[in-house]
Amino acid sequence: MKSIFKHKRISSIVSVVPKEEYRFDDEYPSFKLTPEKAKRFKKMMSLDRHRIAPPEVCSSDLCLYGLQQLLKDGTLKPEEIGALVFVSQTPDYFMPPTSNVIHGKLGLGHDVICLDINQGCAGFLLGLVQAFLLLEISALPKVVLLNGDTCSKQMDKCNRISYPLTGDAGSVTVIERCEAENPIYMDIKNDGSRYKAILVPAGAFRTPATPETIKLREVEEGVVQSEQHIHMDGAAIFNFTMNSVPPQVDETLAFSGDTRDSIDWFLFHQPNPFILTQMAEKMKIPAAKLPNNIVSLYGNCSSVTIPLNIALNCGEQLKDKSLRVCFSGFGVGLTWISMVMNLGPLPVCKIVDYEAT
Amino acid sequence: MDKAKFYEQLAKILDIGEVKPEHALRDFEAWDSLAALSILAMADSKYGVTIKAEEIRSVVTAEQLANLVESRMKK
Repeated sequence: MKSIFKHKRISSIVSVVPKEEYRFDDEYPSFKLTPEKAKRFKKMMSLDRHRIAPPEVCSSDLCLYGLQQLLKDGTLKPEEIGALVFVSQTPDYFMPPTSNVIHGKLGLGHDVICLDINQGCAGFLLGLVQAFLLLEISALPKVVLLNGDTCSKQMDKCNRISYPLTGDAGSVTVIERCEAENPIYMDIKNDGSRYKAILVPAGAFRTPATPETIKLREVEEGVVQSEQHIHMDGAAIFNFTMNSVPPQVDETLAFSGDTRDSIDWFLFHQPNPFILTQMAEKMKIPAAKLPNNIVSLYGNCSSVTIPLNIALNCGEQLKDKSLRVCFSGFGVGLTWISMVMNLGPLPVCKIVDYEAT
Repeated sequence: MDKAKFYEQLAKILDIGEVKPEHALRDFEAWDSLAALSILAMADSKYGVTIKAEEIRSVVTAEQLANLVESRMKK
């Protein structure tokens, strides 16, 4: 489904990562991996390090910390917050919405919309779509999009495939109206028939938590998981990504009248370096325009990979100028969204380490 | 399809000197879901073919895999 949004822009982005950094070389002895297998895996996935939140730190804590930074440095005023949109798969509670919990901790006024959205890989872009729609409410000054995931808590730390690739992070993105037309082109697609490709089978209401659902099982050598952990069908996801994302990106570029040359950066979700390298080759996008370093440095942080990608790879450039960017987020759902826009200038676009307050 | 070349590419993925047509994929030390993923990637990038997860699971020998990729190319 294609659409254009106008007179909207992103005005600041802060990403927050846990201080706790772990290196694959230190961790792999705790996985059931021979040194040869570890070496192959490290090379295949360009593994280096990742950030993992301690048990007491939730997604919302990372988001709240980022938001407090923006309020403290005066980038955002509390009365400008018209909506808090929290996109996550790791909320604080089943009930109430985590956006309400954050609202309460900030002590905001009552004229605020609080909204939680369950989405992961495409969660930054789905959150942007929601933010653009909310800005149609004229009384609403700015939307604060909060993306947070601590997926490391949904897997066994000895799972030799999922765990080294995963990271925890939160981000805060401020979206507001602007005078300039600034058209934003997007295409959004869903295929719920393949929902099992990325699934936490138990722990909610379809299959409630029981002593049985937390039992660990070894599904292949070194891959241990319970029914309350994230189950991924790697081959199905690979095929989905290769077959669905490139044509969507091409369609979105055609829709916005862009080419591979007119786009400064292709800022994609970062599932793992292996898949992204394959994708860049298939799409004939130069590797220099499609950053692929987030998983090696932070891990796959679900919907926060794109905000991290923006800050790490173009944050400096964006400080005082605008860039033509193509975003793409794809995965759980299955959902895939691509977007072309002018991004920046973004005087505030950074990555900070979380400090307990 | 150049089968010899295919076995060479397979040997590279499985981190071994040589793969023979009659070799069972599961017998290789390096065989696991990540190797399977690398094979899907090779089929896609080198041969323009999509192999499904259940197809790769049902294949036993290197030759069967080569035949599967080849049969998909003809379509």
